[in-house]
Amino acid sequence: MKEIKFALYAIKKNIQNSAELKTSFLMNVFGMAINNTAFIIIWVFFVKTVGVINEWTASDIIGLLGFATICFGIVLSVGDGLRRLPDLVSTGSFDRFLLSPKNLLVRIGTSSFGSSAVGDTIFGIVCLIFYGILIHASFFQVLLIIFLIIITTMIFLSLVIIIYSTSFLFTDSDQVTTGIFNFFLTPSLFNGGAFHGLMKIIFVFIIPSLLVGAIPVEIVRDISVGKLLLICILTLFWFFLSIKIFNKCVKKYESSNFMTFGN
Amino acid sequence: MKAIRLASKILKTLTKDRMHYPERLIVDTLSVVARFGVLIILYSYVFKINGGIINNTTFVVAAWSMFFYFSFMILGLRNISKVIMQDVKTGNVEVLFSKPISYIFYRFWWQIGLGLYSFVVITIVGGLALYLAIGFPSTFTSSIFIFSVPFIFLGGVILSLILYGIVGLLAFWIQDINPVFWIVDKAVMILGGSYLPVALFPLLMYKIALYSPFGASQFLTHSVYESWQSNWYELFSVQFLWIVILGFTLYFMFRGAKKKVSVNGG
Repeated sequence: MKEIKFALYAIKKNIQNSAELKTSFLMNVFGMAINNTAFIIIWVFFVKTVGVINEWTASDIIGLLGFATICFGIVLSVGDGLRRLPDLVSTGSFDRFLLSPKNLLVRIGTSSFGSSAVGDTIFGIVCLIFYGILIHASFFQVLLIIFLIIITTMIFLSLVIIIYSTSFLFTDSDQVTTGIFNFFLTPSLFNGGAFHGLMKIIFVFIIPSLLVGAIPVEIVRDISVGKLLLICILTLFWFFLSIKIFNKCVKKYESSNFMTFGN
Repeated sequence: MKAIRLASKILKTLTKDRMHYPERLIVDTLSVVARFGVLIILYSYVFKINGGIINNTTFVVAAWSMFFYFSFMILGLRNISKVIMQDVKTGNVEVLFSKPISYIFYRFWWQIGLGLYSFVVITIVGGLALYLAIGFPSTFTSSIFIFSVPFIFLGGVILSLILYGIVGLLAFWIQDINPVFWIVDKAVMILGGSYLPVALFPLLMYKIALYSPFGASQFLTHSVYESWQSNWYELFSVQFLWIVILGFTLYFMFRGAKKKVSVNGG
């Protein structure tokens, strides 16, 4: 409870800090929202040209982008500090986090705020509203969408923690973490109908990209209890695994202070 | 002569650096596998369920067109925008302006040097893997293709550097160029034929791709199609025109940018 209170306080201060530069903040937010529409344009034209694949229509793709961008936006706006881990580790600035009496992960995550990710969140919300309208969502489906936003956000957070925990293992970790992050993120923005057979198994269980976009859409569309149960179990699995990996990786940290004393 | 010496020195140094630290190559390979690898599986499936041909285009042609796009992207020319912004924000630009070299050309060569090693390795290995997996399209053996590809590639490099250089120079006037960069970058991504090959574009989108600088910077992706045999000179002209227009824009912007610099020495 104390940790949540601290996290909320830190997030509030971070938002106030970012909003100080109003023009830059708004440009980042709306620029990112416009930027994301590129994926809608591409996949809608894709469906128009090649037709519906494995029952995946244009509205499903809007739903997929909604889920993927909303969890991306939430995690990387309030938890933007996680993305700074490679830099913190390589410069030795991580020392000050280790000395903090607060929960290490919460302290790192909330140490920075990603204003452009707010644009992703807004874009995601708009997409999901449109998706709900397009599929004539029932009350139960609306509840499912809200529940799945929480689930996908948890999975995305877990994967971000795992990916950026590798910062402790490599010397030039910034490049490596970016590469692994893109490797995970890119397939999550692809037309879900393209994944079938072995490909689907790989991208659900090994590289869980489909868990943050395609699978939630299939759950809402087909009201699939089996898939809902599966995604809940996998969420818990990835979440606990991420905490374990993070704690293990932190032990590998060696201070490499550049005499900046954590500045 | 001095300019050529500087360029070759930059390219040599950065290539050696990239060879010494292979992390960048790993990252670029991962990025290509994640994007192109998954896309190719997706399209092989899509073409299969559509009887092998969509919009008079076969899978082999579409795959090579997309490969050209992703291979070109490995050069990372678009990052010049952010590098210029960083120079302006950190004040590094003042130091570089005081040196007896052209700042813009220095940054151009630097950007090429950063991506050259990964580009060469991944293009050769990836191209070979793709050839072994699906073969070459018939257009690859035509003399027009062999003659024109190096030039359209070179034109693409120049136009990309100019286009993203203009975005970078905006940092002298606006504090954060990221929103502009995202929009330009996504326009290039859509019109360049990344996730959707140009042959599958609707007519209006195809026209925009042909006559906008965003699409023109990626004309390399057009070179694998049959239509290239008849319209290559038209696309060359469009690309050249954009290089001239945007080249002048860059020149005048750079002149204005120099006047905007204020040295706040410490």
